[in-house]
Amino acid sequence: MESRIKKLREQMASGQISCLELTKTYLEAMDKENQKINAYVRSTPEVAIETAKRVDQKIASGEPLLPLEGIPMTLKDNISTKGIETTCCSKILKGYTPIYNATVWDLLQKQNAVLLGKTNMDEFAMGSSCETSCFGGALNPHDTSRVAGGSSGGVASAVGGNLAVYGLGSDTGGSIRQPASFCGLTGLKPTYGAVSRYGLIAYASSFDQIGPITQSVEDAAIVYDAISVYDEKDSTSRGKVGAPVCETLKNSIKGRKIGIAKEYFDGIRDDVNKAIQNAIQVYESLGAQIVYFDMPSLKYSLPVYYILACAEASSNLGRYDGIRYGYKTGHYADRNEMVCKTRSEGFGKEVKRRILLGTYVLSAGYYDAYYKKAQNLRGELVKAFEDAFQKCDVMLAPTVPMTAFPLNFTAKDAVETYLTDICTVPVNIAGLPAVSLPCGFDAAGLPIGMQLIGNRFCEATILNAAHQYETAVGDHVFRSAEMGVRL
Amino acid sequence: MVTHEEILNIANLAKLSVSPEELDELTKDMNEIIGFADTINAACPQASDFDNINGLSNAFREDIVVPSYDREEILKNAESRDDGYFLVKKRM
Amino acid sequence: MTNYELVCGLETHIELSTNTKIFCSCTTEFGGDPNTHCCPVCIGLPGTLPKLNKRVVEYAIMAGLATNCEISRVSKMDRKNYVYPDLPKAYQISQYDMPLCKNGWVELSNGRKIRLTRIHIEEDAGKLVHQRGGTYVDYNRGGVPLIEIVSEPDIRSIDEAKEYLEKLQLIMRFIGISDCKMQEGSMRCDVNISMRPMGTEKFGTRTEIKNMNSFAHMAKAMDYEMNRQIDLLQSGEAVVQETRRYNEEDDCTESMRGKEDAHDYRYFREPDLVTIQVSDEIVNELKDKLPELPQKKAKRYMEDFGLPEADALLLTQYRKISEYFEAASKGVKNPKTVANCMIGQIFSRLEGDGAKENFAVKVTPENLNALVRLLDDGKIRMNLLKTTLEKMLDTGKAPSELISENDMGGVDPGALKAACEQAIAANPNAVSDYLGGKEKALKAILGAVMKATRGRADAMEVEKLLVQLIKK
Repeated sequence: MESRIKKLREQMASGQISCLELTKTYLEAMDKENQKINAYVRSTPEVAIETAKRVDQKIASGEPLLPLEGIPMTLKDNISTKGIETTCCSKILKGYTPIYNATVWDLLQKQNAVLLGKTNMDEFAMGSSCETSCFGGALNPHDTSRVAGGSSGGVASAVGGNLAVYGLGSDTGGSIRQPASFCGLTGLKPTYGAVSRYGLIAYASSFDQIGPITQSVEDAAIVYDAISVYDEKDSTSRGKVGAPVCETLKNSIKGRKIGIAKEYFDGIRDDVNKAIQNAIQVYESLGAQIVYFDMPSLKYSLPVYYILACAEASSNLGRYDGIRYGYKTGHYADRNEMVCKTRSEGFGKEVKRRILLGTYVLSAGYYDAYYKKAQNLRGELVKAFEDAFQKCDVMLAPTVPMTAFPLNFTAKDAVETYLTDICTVPVNIAGLPAVSLPCGFDAAGLPIGMQLIGNRFCEATILNAAHQYETAVGDHVFRSAEMGVRL
Repeated sequence: MVTHEEILNIANLAKLSVSPEELDELTKDMNEIIGFADTINAACPQASDFDNINGLSNAFREDIVVPSYDREEILKNAESRDDGYFLVKKRM
Repeated sequence: MTNYELVCGLETHIELSTNTKIFCSCTTEFGGDPNTHCCPVCIGLPGTLPKLNKRVVEYAIMAGLATNCEISRVSKMDRKNYVYPDLPKAYQISQYDMPLCKNGWVELSNGRKIRLTRIHIEEDAGKLVHQRGGTYVDYNRGGVPLIEIVSEPDIRSIDEAKEYLEKLQLIMRFIGISDCKMQEGSMRCDVNISMRPMGTEKFGTRTEIKNMNSFAHMAKAMDYEMNRQIDLLQSGEAVVQETRRYNEEDDCTESMRGKEDAHDYRYFREPDLVTIQVSDEIVNELKDKLPELPQKKAKRYMEDFGLPEADALLLTQYRKISEYFEAASKGVKNPKTVANCMIGQIFSRLEGDGAKENFAVKVTPENLNALVRLLDDGKIRMNLLKTTLEKMLDTGKAPSELISENDMGGVDPGALKAACEQAIAANPNAVSDYLGGKEKALKAILGAVMKATRGRADAMEVEKLLVQLIKK
C-alpha cells in the first residue's frame, strides 16, 4: 500500500494539482456522499479553503512542503478546535465552541493541514459502533448496512470512504484500532504519553490517547511523527522517544521475535483466526521468529478496563452542569434540579450507564472491592506485558474477534457489546502502542484487522513490522471502498 | 445485588435524575455490569498498588504569570450570564 | 455537676502567595472584575489539563519544615469529587492519602505541643454571589493554591485555639508563603469540637464548625458550641456528628446539613498529574531558604540582647520588622535602645497590621544603627537621639545630615558654666523659689540651659552645676 500522503504532496509540489483543487474535490465529494455514511457531523469548508490557498501560495513561492502540508484531513469531534464547534457527539455539548486549540490541532495547523470537518463518534467516545452518537452513527463504507465501528467511527468511515486522506481519532479501549479494522484501514494507538492529550475531551484520562487512522502504514508513520511531540501543557506527555518512525519502516525484520499470547485467540471467529494465522506465516516467510506464550492475567482486562475507565469518566463528566458551556435544561425549580435535569437530558443512555458504574465503583463501601482491586490488577497486567516483551519484540493479535457488525447489533446487551473490546483494551490498560492493519476479508467481503503491539515507546518497531507485512502481501488484503475521492 | 435504593443514591452523587420507568432497566443493567465486574474477584493480584501509568514524576510549571483570557471569551459559551458573571437563575 | 473538657482540632486553609494559580498561569491577585483572572484550565473547559506550579510544592514543604513535619518523599494528587457551581470541574484536585507533609507540631506559650496530622496542597474554589433571584459565579479565586493544615485534637481551650492559629499565622507570614489575612479569606479554618467529662480519655461525638474567618468569630462560635454540647450531654441527649456554621447575627452555631447532602467524595488518584518526588537536595535547599522562625528568634532576642519578652514578641511579629531590628542593632552596645526606638517611635507611625507587615519606613536600618552608635560613643544624648529620629522619620535623612559636629561631643565646661550663669540671671524668680525650698523650680532653669545648649549637655551634670552656682 503506497503512501497517499506522500503521493498527494508530490502531485501538489510538481504542480499536477493545486491544493485548492484537491481540497474542493474533497469538499464536493463530502457534499455528495457524506449522507451515505454519516462520517462527518460538521464540515469546515472555509477553514479548508483558506488553508489550501495559503498552501498554494507557498508552493508558488517555491518553498518545500512540510510532511502534512495541504493534505485534506479530519478530526474526531472530541478534539478541541478553536472557533469550531466541538461536541463529542453529545447533546450536552451541542453549540459548544472551544476558545482554545488542542495541542495536536496546533501542531497540524502549523503544517497547514487542511481540515475538512469534524467526524462522528460514539458519545464521549463511549461505544464500539458509533451508534451512541447524538447525530446517529457513521456507517461502514464497505457495507452501509453495517457499522463503521467505534468510537472513532466517523474518522474511519471518512478515511475508508475516501472523504479524507487521514484523520485523528482517540483510543481509550480500542476506539482507533477497532473502527480501522472494521473499515480496512491502519489505526495507530500510540504509547500513553507519546501524543499530547491537551484539548482532547476526556473520557478516561489514564487510557485516552490520540492517534491517526490512515490508508497505509506509511501514512500512519508520517502523521505519528508529526504529532508525537512533548507538550508542556500535558503533565503526562513525553513525546516521541528516538528517531522519526518513518526512517525505519523499510528495515528488515529478519530475526525479529513476534510473540503470540494464546489468550488473545479465545473466542475469536474462525475466519478472523484464519486471517491472523496467514499473517503469521507471512512473518515467518519474512524471517521473523514466532514465540508462543500464555498471559493468564489478560482474562481480567475487560472488567479492569470498564471499572477504571468508567471511574475516571464519572469524574471527568461531572463538569457538564449547564453553567459554563453546553446544553442547559429549560425548566427547573432550583439549582440542584437544574444540574440533574441538564445532565439527564443531555447525556445519552450509554454515557449515563458508564457514569453510574464509575460512581458506584468509587463510592464508599465499593472502592476496595472494585476500583482498588482493578488498579492492582492493572499493575499486574503492566507487569505481564513487561515479561512478554522480555520474550519478544512485537506481539501479534487480532484487533477484534469479529468483523463489522450490522446496525443495532450492540443495542441489546451492554455486557455482550463490551466483549467486542476484548482484544483492544489490554494495550490501553498497560499504556502500550499498537497498530491495527488489514490482513484479509471475511466471506461477506468485510475487512479483517490484526494488531501489532509494542513495548512502551516502540512505535518504530511495530510500524516497521506492519509496513514489512503490508509490503510483502501487496494490495490483495486492501480494498478501497467504491466511493469518495479516488485520485 | 445492586438495589433500587443504591442506584438512586449513586444517581444522586452523579447528579443524574432517574425516573421510575428508568429505574428498573438501570438496575437490571447495572446488576449485569457489576456481575461482570465481579469476575475480577477471582483474581489475587500480586502487584502492589499501581502507580501512574507512564511512570513520570515532577512535571512542574514555573510560577510565571501569563495574561488571562478576555472575559468575553471566558463567558462566550455560557447559556446565561450577567454583569461579567456566569449566572444560574433561581428557577426557570 | 460534671465538669467538661474541650477536645478540639483545627483544619486551617491558607492561601499561598504565589504569583500564579496552582494549575494554570493565571494571576492569583486578590480582587479584579469577576472572571477576569481566568483561562480554559481554571474554568474547567473540556479537554484542558492541569500543570502543577512548582512553587506551590516548595511553599508547602517550607510550611512543613517550619512546623516540624516530616516531608513525604513520594506524594501524589487526588480528585475529590462533588458537584457545586463554584467547582468548575466538579472535582477539587487535592491530596488524600499521601500528603506532602505529616506529623508536625506547633508549640504554645504554655509549653503544650499541638500536633499536626498533615499539610497538603489543593486548589481553591470560585466565589458564588447569591442575589437578584440567581447564583452569580466568579472563578477568579478558582485554582488559587491552598495548603490545608490539619491538627490533631490536642486543643483544650478557646485561648489555645486562638494562640495556635496566631502561631500558624505568624510562622506562615514569617517564612513568606502567605499573608494569612483572615478578613480577605487568605486564612480560614474549620473547628472540630467535642466535649468530654474532665479526667476521661474517650472522645465524645464531634461537630465541625465550617469556615471561621476571624479570631473573634472563632472564639464566639467555640464558646456557643461548647455550651450547646455541654447542655445536650447534661440533659442526657446525644450530640449529632454534623457540620455547622456560625451565625454572626444571632451569635450561635446552626446545622448545615441539607437532606440531599450525603457526601461521598469518591477520592481517587488524579490521572492528569504525575507523582511528586521530593529529594533530599530539595528539602535541604528549602531548609536553607527558611528564615529563623519567630519563636526561636524571640527567645534569642531575650537571651542574647536582654530584651524583655514583650519587646521580643513585638519585634518578631513580622519578618520585615525582625530583619530591620537585626540590621539596625548590628554592633550596637545596647540593642534595647534600638528596640525602644522601633517600638516607641517607629511603630507609632505605622497604623494597622498591614503597615507593620510592609514596614515601609523612611529611616534605613543603617541610619538608625548610625544614630544609636552616636549615643553609644557618648557623642549625643538620649533626648537628641529621640528628636533626631523624629526628623529622620520625617525626612529620611541620615543622622550625619541632621546633627552637626557642633551638636556632638557634649559642651565645653567653660561654655556650660556661662550658660548656667546666664540662665540663673535670667530666671531670678525661679532662683528665689528654689532657695525658698521649692526644688521643682530648678527644672525651669535646667530647661533654659538645655535649650541654650541645644540638648547636648548632660542634664545630671547641669543640675549639679546649677545647684553649686545658686548656693554660692
